[in-house]
Amino acid sequence: MERFLRIDMTGKTAAFEPVPDRYKGRAGRWLTSSIIHDEVPPDCHPLGPRNKLVFSPGIVAGTAAPTSSRISVGGKSPLTGTIKESNAGTGWGRRLARLGIRAIIVEGEPSGGPLWLIRVGADGVKFEPADPWVGKRLSEVYADLYKRYGDKDRIDICAIGVAGEHRMAAAGICFSDQEGRPSRYSGRGGLGAVMGSKGIKAIVLDDTNAPGVTLADKDLFDTGRKKLTEALTSHDITKPKGALNTYGTAVLVNIINEAGALPTRNFREGRFEGAERIAGEAIFAGNKERTGEEIYNHACSPGCIIGCSNTWHRPDGSEHTSCIEYESDWALGANCGIDDLDRIAEMNLLCNEYGLDTIEIGGAIAVAMDGGLIPFGDGAGAIKLIHEIGEATPLGRILGAGALTTGKAFGVERVPHVKGQNMPAYEPRAIKGIGMTYAVSTMGADHTSGYTIAPEILGVSGKLDPLNPDKAEVARNFQYATAFLDSTGHCLFIAFAILDIASGFEGVIEECNGVLGTDWKLDDAARIGKEIIDIERDFNRRAGFTELDDRLPEFMTREKLPPHDAVWDIPAEEIDEVLG
Amino acid sequence: MRVTVRFYAGLGDRRAAEVELPAGARLADLFSSLGLDEREVHLVIVDGRIVHDRDVFLSDRARIALFPPVGGG
Repeated sequence: MERFLRIDMTGKTAAFEPVPDRYKGRAGRWLTSSIIHDEVPPDCHPLGPRNKLVFSPGIVAGTAAPTSSRISVGGKSPLTGTIKESNAGTGWGRRLARLGIRAIIVEGEPSGGPLWLIRVGADGVKFEPADPWVGKRLSEVYADLYKRYGDKDRIDICAIGVAGEHRMAAAGICFSDQEGRPSRYSGRGGLGAVMGSKGIKAIVLDDTNAPGVTLADKDLFDTGRKKLTEALTSHDITKPKGALNTYGTAVLVNIINEAGALPTRNFREGRFEGAERIAGEAIFAGNKERTGEEIYNHACSPGCIIGCSNTWHRPDGSEHTSCIEYESDWALGANCGIDDLDRIAEMNLLCNEYGLDTIEIGGAIAVAMDGGLIPFGDGAGAIKLIHEIGEATPLGRILGAGALTTGKAFGVERVPHVKGQNMPAYEPRAIKGIGMTYAVSTMGADHTSGYTIAPEILGVSGKLDPLNPDKAEVARNFQYATAFLDSTGHCLFIAFAILDIASGFEGVIEECNGVLGTDWKLDDAARIGKEIIDIERDFNRRAGFTELDDRLPEFMTREKLPPHDAVWDIPAEEIDEVLG
Repeated sequence: MRVTVRFYAGLGDRRAAEVELPAGARLADLFSSLGLDEREVHLVIVDGRIVHDRDVFLSDRARIALFPPVGGG
């Protein structure tokens, strides 16, 4: 039977409780946002005792459904002040589902003292002082924890790095990948700082003797699973040796650059002259040259059949880092004017080691470059700045607080953010629909909350002109669909296949019905998605946010972005129509 | 007239080829002159604009980027 695990860090107690009836069937983002909405006062300080941190695996996580090991983490964000859900692909989510734990709810606040490690297994919950791992790089922490608690076939790890220990607003929560690397992040919104404020360094999950996930209707689940698998293995983007498996998400660097929408040097330009040198194609070719092999990408979590997670190798052929995602590649590369993959790889590695969101840190460094701290393109200087964050120097703490704080410290107006969160790797002046998504997202500027790039650029689920401003409907529909997908436990990347192949989408609904015993139809996806967004918007409204916060920064309405010389020109009334 | 063509994401080992075309050439003519199978090309970007119509006229010195089906995020 599924339960909640409530952990109170004030008294360091852990208690299992039944899932309340009103939450039955809810999982992933649907559940984290519901609990935060219902239990956290919206006016609380994100780092104070009234905030909570909630972990929930999606509906089909822990089953044989393909590409379905997502874990959602929710809380009130110290970066944005809004509700936050940030999800990651990791065996940790699968193990939590298999343990029969629908959500872990962390609350309270220890009165000073050490950080704690929490081990959760079928045999119970244990607290241990985390002193041996405080202040260490996450690769060291993980290696130690695997030695102590069991190998990667037995446990998965969730931990914060030094950034979270110091409660920096750009701190993420790091999860283990299939090989035990500290590399899969709930990166956005500073949830690592919330975990640090609760006094938790790491949560280790061991699902030995776990009950597993009960299926209400196994035949229906299997029917759905097979339909989705067929869609994923036949669609050109998601199939084996397709674009994602071969070039990783960084395959987008060239395409977004050609579209004139690759934010370059802190959103001053839409094209980067070094794009080809940092793109997914260059990663594939560089690895081949250095290792002598064609290296196709790997799955970040068990059961993923897309396999988009890459590695980058040093000149001697040894592994340098995993994974250089498109967003990280861009944030630490083009956005800082850096075109050297070895330097970008080192920055990516350091963010993983110190427990940082690569997008926010790339954004903060780019803003600092704009403010004259170091020149654009200075890769060695940027690496030193990330070390400053890891050492929590005064300068490092400013950068670790994110791009908006950095902009204030350096007197820079050009901070590309919404609600305090740095924009990701798509220029809203050149792709209007994603700009609308950034504006109204309940999370601050976030491409994953409504990936209109699919129809606006990639020709998936439609063909829309990115410069056409008439995008309110598509921005709304993508946010509803995404909120639903974020609750299923599936990776958002299944959308590429199921938006084009109708039977794949049917398969997802059948999988959910097979697990839950519900009778959802296709239309229920949008209904549930809307319900989730409404819950999140209600929290934000009560936290003090109004439509005036749903705006892009003023400089974008004034500064023309080359090569299209476009400005942000969507009227406020049209933005306010997106979610009504 | 002369256009620049870039091939990405497994569409070929060639990069930044310069192609001579007769004045008034359309995108479809470029595909013919390159011997490209249209079905391999999912996305065409001409001077930063996404082009779905293969009959579109090309201009001198156009920058053309060709992609297979690509996704990411």
